[in-house]
Amino acid sequence: MNPTQEIRISDPTLRDGNHAIGHQLSAENIAAYCKAADAAGVPIVEVGHGNGLGASSLQLGEAKTPDHIALATARENMNRSKLGIHVIPGFATIERDLKPALALGVDVVRVASHCSEADICERHIGFSRNEGAEVWGCLMMSHMISPSMLLEQARKLESYGAEGVVFMDSSGHFMPEDVRVRVDTLVNGLGIAVGFHGHNNLGLAIANSVAAADAGATLIDGCARGFGAGAGNTQLEVLVAVFERLKYSTGIDFYKMLDAADLAEQTLMKEIPTIKSVSVVSGMAGVFSGFMKPVTRIAKEFDVDPRDIFFELGRRKIVAGQEDIILEVAKQLAQQPKKGNP
Amino acid sequence: MNRDAVIQAKEKLRVAIIGSGNIGTDLLIKVGRSPHLECGAFIGRNLSSSGMMKALSLGVPVSAEGINHIINNPDCCDIVFDATSAKSHFEHAPILRGLNKRVIDMTPAKIGLMSVPSVNMADCLNEFNVNMVTCGGQASIPVAYAIGQTQSDVDYIEVVSSISSRSAGPATRQNLDEYIKTTEDGLKEFSGARRTKAILNLNPAEPCVDMQTTIFAKVKDPDILKLTERLSELVKSVCKYVPGYEIILGPIVENDRIVVMVRVRGLGDYLPAYAGNLDIINCAAIAMAEEYAQVTLNAVSKGN
Amino acid sequence: MKQECQERTRHDCMRVLEGRDNALEPLRKSELVVIGGTGFVGTWIAEMVAALNDAYDFGIKLTLISRSADQFANRLPHLANRSDISLIKSDVRQLGQFPANADWVIHAAANPDVRTHASNPLDTASVIVDGTMSVMRTAERLGRLQKLLYLSSGLVCGAQSVTANGIAENEQGAPVPDASFMYPNAKRFAETLCSAARAQSRTPVLVARPFSFIGPYQSLDTPWAQTTFLSDALRGHQIRVKGDGQVVRSYLYGSDAAYWFLRILTAGEVGDVVNVGSPTGITLQDLAKEVAKNFEPSPEIMFNTAPRSTGRSAKLLPDTTHAQNVYGLTVFTPLEEAIKLTALWHRLQNN
Repeated sequence: MNPTQEIRISDPTLRDGNHAIGHQLSAENIAAYCKAADAAGVPIVEVGHGNGLGASSLQLGEAKTPDHIALATARENMNRSKLGIHVIPGFATIERDLKPALALGVDVVRVASHCSEADICERHIGFSRNEGAEVWGCLMMSHMISPSMLLEQARKLESYGAEGVVFMDSSGHFMPEDVRVRVDTLVNGLGIAVGFHGHNNLGLAIANSVAAADAGATLIDGCARGFGAGAGNTQLEVLVAVFERLKYSTGIDFYKMLDAADLAEQTLMKEIPTIKSVSVVSGMAGVFSGFMKPVTRIAKEFDVDPRDIFFELGRRKIVAGQEDIILEVAKQLAQQPKKGNP
Repeated sequence: MNRDAVIQAKEKLRVAIIGSGNIGTDLLIKVGRSPHLECGAFIGRNLSSSGMMKALSLGVPVSAEGINHIINNPDCCDIVFDATSAKSHFEHAPILRGLNKRVIDMTPAKIGLMSVPSVNMADCLNEFNVNMVTCGGQASIPVAYAIGQTQSDVDYIEVVSSISSRSAGPATRQNLDEYIKTTEDGLKEFSGARRTKAILNLNPAEPCVDMQTTIFAKVKDPDILKLTERLSELVKSVCKYVPGYEIILGPIVENDRIVVMVRVRGLGDYLPAYAGNLDIINCAAIAMAEEYAQVTLNAVSKGN
Repeated sequence: MKQECQERTRHDCMRVLEGRDNALEPLRKSELVVIGGTGFVGTWIAEMVAALNDAYDFGIKLTLISRSADQFANRLPHLANRSDISLIKSDVRQLGQFPANADWVIHAAANPDVRTHASNPLDTASVIVDGTMSVMRTAERLGRLQKLLYLSSGLVCGAQSVTANGIAENEQGAPVPDASFMYPNAKRFAETLCSAARAQSRTPVLVARPFSFIGPYQSLDTPWAQTTFLSDALRGHQIRVKGDGQVVRSYLYGSDAAYWFLRILTAGEVGDVVNVGSPTGITLQDLAKEVAKNFEPSPEIMFNTAPRSTGRSAKLLPDTTHAQNVYGLTVFTPLEEAIKLTALWHRLQNN
């Protein structure tokens, strides 16, 4: 840990947070939070459907606010902060989604794939780069492959022109040592910056983020009050405080960040994220946090234990975007004799 | 020599396959099994590729001259499968039309009519160029079509396909956008839905997963009974040429939308059976070619 | 290809040839074949041959072999339509048709695009390894072959350490056997195939190791520093430099590179290995500034767009003592000039 080392914060409150409320953030919500984040000096504010650009769908949940309105609203309400988006090829296409988004003034594009499938990102990264955006590659569910395989995938992103690689603990499964090893491997194997995105299913999001920064990551994600999928993300205002104590400089005004978190609590979320039983299970099982809502709903419909669904999804190594498999699993479990019956 | 006389002397129609990658080679093997088709030329760019080696081992004439081989040897085929790329197909299509060949386009070029055999076989028989849409399209369009036929006011259809990571090579990965657009266009065309959306997921799980496709539809007053009946007819039709096609869930109404889940297990002719995505589009293409062949051969034997 | 652009590249070749044409005498009235002849290197060699023929009456017959020969003919008719240049469309792995009377052969067939190496490492390997094997086998049948020059890569000795001042040809390292390093590994093996062809078939092969180039005919779509900076500037965007810009590279201009290759081909001793590139390093920070100078208004330069915590800078520079001492080769077009010419050429081409 170096004295006054710079850490850049990227804030997906208005993107990951959408997972927590079925993608129902309104334009008013977006405007208000963007103003507050901008005032606090948050470097990057990420906006959109929980699964990114173009992901509004029956499969993943329909957004209340279409992409173009969300992005235009955000852009209008921020002067200093950069506007970021999360883009998953296979959901978002260049012509239909990415081009219009860039035209609306998006500054930062994070092209994301499942951790082992980085080569689907080649074209979207190339397009964004040619349009002059700041482009990052993003590897999701990164607990599912080893650190050296993660490096192999990250190197592909580097070769496509990404300026940095963020790896995500999408299911909140990592221990701090897991994060440290991965950041170390990436920092030593890549010529570009490394970032980390944590989730709090096992109560370790802050500790994991600190481990990442200590090992050389220079971009860390955090959400106001932890507003995000499942048990929530790394709680941003807490992270800012922790980094200040550890002598990392984020450039964020502490009081204004607290104000933004208060605003988020009062206006964006239905409840403050906590680690519910199902979230502990999904963290243990290594299943994508964004599955919490559909699993809970479908478990009720089929009268099966949601915890069983999560462990089965984990066993099958189901990846983000495969919500339809939840139905299949629930159906299968429903057909099995109930536990405790003779 | 009179063309009809030549055909009369044959029991099979000759096909050429341009594109010696996985799709072309799998087609080659399927052609070999067909009672109505035989391969007159297997055309690629790299004579030492595994596809070419396979063709040679089967005694099929090979060429690395691309479309020129057909220009220089027009009798080598009556039907052409183009499994190259959209860009190349734009070049090939007018040339093949000029040579009066029936073309089955496996690329996203989509110059000709979209072909889904269980749905619009009859319409395609009059066309000189048909396009096989996409793997997700072949899996979902029969369902989308059934929905369009049996439901009033189809507002929106969404199709999510999951394929195993190992069945998706660099060509698939670099063309996701084309896949999405072509599938969405196909869904709209065959269902009459106001809006469509296609999503593709790659699943890296081992052992490899079979191709699985979920069709969601938003309609006014869903009629599941009617849909179930129509769907089971269509599925029987699809299974004639894609034996591994199976409905594994639905049709049901869940969370205010119609849901149908389809799984496709491949025949394992060239790639392993989990690559049902490859198989379904190829089986559909072969079904199309065999229908052309049967109609042509029947016409010749009757008409003369 | 705009007339003015054609004139500029011709002018570039003429400047290099002035006072140096006699060193290329062995090429006079001979047959030269370039495999992979439609890429950056092949195109510049074609330009140089055209200049030698037009201005110095060399009478060279040039054949370019490539699987994109038809696209080359469409893009660059001023070269493709010349009576002294023939095109053969062929994959390097199946060299069916090959000029039997070739005196000189340059094997430059490989795709240097790092994105392809990352997404298609197996195909990358096949083109380089199977391709080189195919070239060596073909060379066995060429009765008049005097020399075959193989274009390897400056990366075959692995990643360079921070402190080294230039990689010499006898460097001991090797790239890690990992798919992320498929290109240098395949090139390294291909060099080994060249040595095997000499040992087994007495084929007169020698090797050049290209480092980085700059100039017209280089696709601005590739994610290298020199192409990205130019592309950013041409589109009116700010120039984005990842990291602190202290990474050091060097760039040799296209016309210089073409001359170097032809000189090494004709004068080189069989079995020689020669670095081809500029020994003069430039930080990416300075490169960005140089590029920016050529645009009005000058684009903003963004550094540390994605800062790294470890300020580790890498250098990739060739030691060109060997090229200088044995072949008299130095940098003819200074980098500042090279960048100016390239920027201007692209601006003219796009207007």
